[in-house]
Amino acid sequence: MTEMVISTDEKSVWERGKNLLSANLINITALISFVILGVFLIWPVTALFLKSIQGPEGFTLHYYREFLTKSYYYRSFFNTLFLGILTTSVCVFVGFCTAYMTTRGPVYLRKALRIISLLPIIAPPYIFALSLIILMGRSGILTKTFDLSWSIYGFVGCVIAQTLSFLPLAYIMIENSLSTLNPNLEDSASNLGASEQKILRSITIPLCAPGILKAALIVFVLSIAEFGNVALLSGRTPFLAPDVYIMITGAESNFNMGSVLSVFLMIPCLAIFLIQGYIIKGKGYTTILGKPVAAEPRSISTPMLIIFAPVTILAALLILITFGVVGAGAFTKIIGINNTFVWEHILSTRADSALFNSVKISLITGFLGAVVGIILAYVIERGKFKGRTFLEFLSLSGFALPGTALAIGYILAFSKPPLHLTGTLIILVLCCVFREFVVGVEAGSGKLKQLSTEMEDASANLGANTVTTFWRIVLPIIFPAFIYGFIYGFMRTMVTLSAVIFLATPRTYMASIFIFETGTFGELGLACATSLKLILIVAISLIVLQFLSRWTGLSVTRSQGVGAA
Amino acid sequence: MSGSEKKIMLDLKNIRKSFGNVMVLKGVSAQIREGELATFVGPSGCGKTTLLRIIGGLTNQDSGDVIVDGQNINNVTPDKRGTQMCFQNYALFPHMTVAQNVGYGLDVHGWEKSRTKERVEELLGLVQLQGLGNRYIEKLSGGQQQRVALARALALEPKILLLDEPLSNLDANLRVQMRGTLLEIQKRVGITTIFVTHDQSEAMSISDRLFVMNKGNIEQIGSPLEIYQSPNSAFIAGFVGYVNILGGTIKKHPGKETEELCAAVKTDFGSLDIVTNGICLEEGNKIDLVVRPEAIRILPPKQSLGVNEFKGRVKTMMYAGSMVKYVVEIGDTRIIVDQFDPINEGLHEVGQECCVIMPQKVHVLNQ
Repeated sequence: MTEMVISTDEKSVWERGKNLLSANLINITALISFVILGVFLIWPVTALFLKSIQGPEGFTLHYYREFLTKSYYYRSFFNTLFLGILTTSVCVFVGFCTAYMTTRGPVYLRKALRIISLLPIIAPPYIFALSLIILMGRSGILTKTFDLSWSIYGFVGCVIAQTLSFLPLAYIMIENSLSTLNPNLEDSASNLGASEQKILRSITIPLCAPGILKAALIVFVLSIAEFGNVALLSGRTPFLAPDVYIMITGAESNFNMGSVLSVFLMIPCLAIFLIQGYIIKGKGYTTILGKPVAAEPRSISTPMLIIFAPVTILAALLILITFGVVGAGAFTKIIGINNTFVWEHILSTRADSALFNSVKISLITGFLGAVVGIILAYVIERGKFKGRTFLEFLSLSGFALPGTALAIGYILAFSKPPLHLTGTLIILVLCCVFREFVVGVEAGSGKLKQLSTEMEDASANLGANTVTTFWRIVLPIIFPAFIYGFIYGFMRTMVTLSAVIFLATPRTYMASIFIFETGTFGELGLACATSLKLILIVAISLIVLQFLSRWTGLSVTRSQGVGAA
Repeated sequence: MSGSEKKIMLDLKNIRKSFGNVMVLKGVSAQIREGELATFVGPSGCGKTTLLRIIGGLTNQDSGDVIVDGQNINNVTPDKRGTQMCFQNYALFPHMTVAQNVGYGLDVHGWEKSRTKERVEELLGLVQLQGLGNRYIEKLSGGQQQRVALARALALEPKILLLDEPLSNLDANLRVQMRGTLLEIQKRVGITTIFVTHDQSEAMSISDRLFVMNKGNIEQIGSPLEIYQSPNSAFIAGFVGYVNILGGTIKKHPGKETEELCAAVKTDFGSLDIVTNGICLEEGNKIDLVVRPEAIRILPPKQSLGVNEFKGRVKTMMYAGSMVKYVVEIGDTRIIVDQFDPINEGLHEVGQECCVIMPQKVHVLNQ
């Protein structure tokens, strides 16, 4: 990509320096990227790991022993894994049913189902917990009306809440697989006499398997790492993420045990990330070939409809009910107990500074994340240097690291000089940036892959150096990816809880923490009202994203990175 | 051509189909006989693929009947119509082996494993893929995949085989080779086949009958010879090969000589004596002469020109080894002339003068 500038006239040191810089710009940027990622990604994780084996007298495995012997801890670990498996199974199943219904079900249902299934994207994930508590908590509306003795706390509540909040992600990935399936394959099978069940079993599902598996792995990681829903609904059942919270913010701040717990939280996530990266990547059946046919809308047979429709409609109803309950909670004095209509929650200004902080931090994060993401994407896609694959791996790992673990790592890494950042806005921003920039990298890579290197070669041929080429050719074309990374980073940071709950201080308070705390302390009206405001802000940004993407031609929904934790 | 003794396997009655505001099929009727290889051919958008899909039951017609072997199958699902479709992109199941693909239909119909295995081997032998049963589809070449798709379609012994541009995805040499293979298999099995293509030379070389379509209508039905020699219109004439359409007026009409009519035609570049059967020629009629490039001879310039001989100048020349395609200007008229065996006949360079001999036997269209 870079060529020696062969010239015979004398050049000044400055000119030669500039040429050298330009020729090696990618390599230099790559080096800087390594350093940055090293400091802000690898170092905190290492600090976390080190703390877990560090005792008063130096190296010790005492805390690990505690973890593995005290039944409370390892039960917490297995509960977390089990929750992951349960949530993944249910969520992927519902996601598949929904995707099937929106691609083949009755036409009049498709659009509505699709929109409702994507609705949880604009909301903080823990509103599902809030809504479940309002309806079926100890003094929940349904609990009192129907005198239910059944408790929503524990596995049941967590699975329901998590399934609904991760549904959009599973849905998008599976729907992507289903809709890129060559319709001729199912036509052929049908032509040869296969019933819809047979086609589903022998053709559709096997060919969508890579997409379904990918969705499953991502939901699993998100489920393990998620804090909000689990903390609110776990009841007496121990789970790792809330346990880390209790450990660190409790009366005796035990960072050692906290780090051990975080390490155990990280291990399954990283393992799955590796599986996903090395085994699943690139595996997929290319089934679309040849010219598209003017196709009639596909249809679903009745036996399948009987199975898929109720599942999908139930999930959609639950989502709508959740939003409804949150809406109702915002406008009633104490929902379930005193249902008078009030404005006080909505008009309360207690959440204002938190909301303002959230917006401020999210904007900065979105911007920085997108910048870092795009630059990294360029370096990874176009660079040829040793360690390129490792850099790629590092960039994508942000998605796999649980927010809680990374946050603790940040506290441990940056609580002392030379980088004493704890308590500042900077640490919050940095932690969010290094979790969210992965979206920018993915979007940027996607766009760059579409952009042929020949265009850049042509530019170089015509005399432009690396910087000019990047600025005038590459950047305008990958600009949509930047926008996408920015708004996505913004949205996710607005609703994120697990990372920020450890890093925020009274000065850098964020809306999601406010909602969580008011929710935990029973001020449900305020929690709902603030959630509504948060949802509104995020919804507006999503509409802006839709508008911008249509304008610049980048598709919003065909991508990863939709979940929030 | 003969063949009316064979029964009608497919009867299409007045098929109409619109997509939105566009009427893609405007009342198409046709009859295909048992064992015939019939080709629907025409330019993109003429409706041929839609018609094929309607026959196969993958698309529903707005009105009209599809009758297979005497039975009206309008509302019958694709798997029970007696038709099997081979898609342009083969639609082979990528996660299954060749044997699993070919045997899929049998499997679905509950055949027991040993019987399926036997039949699959028989079919693989038919399409000359014996021994490749355990390969996965992506490891096969285009031509091999094509044959697997064929074997899969033939497994259930359908009454009619529907081929949707089966050779379009193959490169040029392979395509020609596969034409022969397809034809051979079709004749051996004796199955009524409907072939859809936009490639006229493909259509001509393998079909028993051609159905030439344009803009939702069938414009002419006939054997390749009939269509090529006696096209109904300038469009069809041009579609099935290079052609010179020369306009002229009947000048003299001396009457019948044997079975054929003779006339003299006045064209822009001179007078032609023609001999043709078919349409009635009256003096003063305006007609179009359909003259194929291979029927015109090109010679070095002559001093004295005889009947149907004209002086011309070579405008362009395309040398293709076994033949040369010239564009020759006679006055203001440009005609395409094919010359075979150019080495022995002598090449004519661009800009040179030449003598062009027009044929007497030509096909005539009314203007």
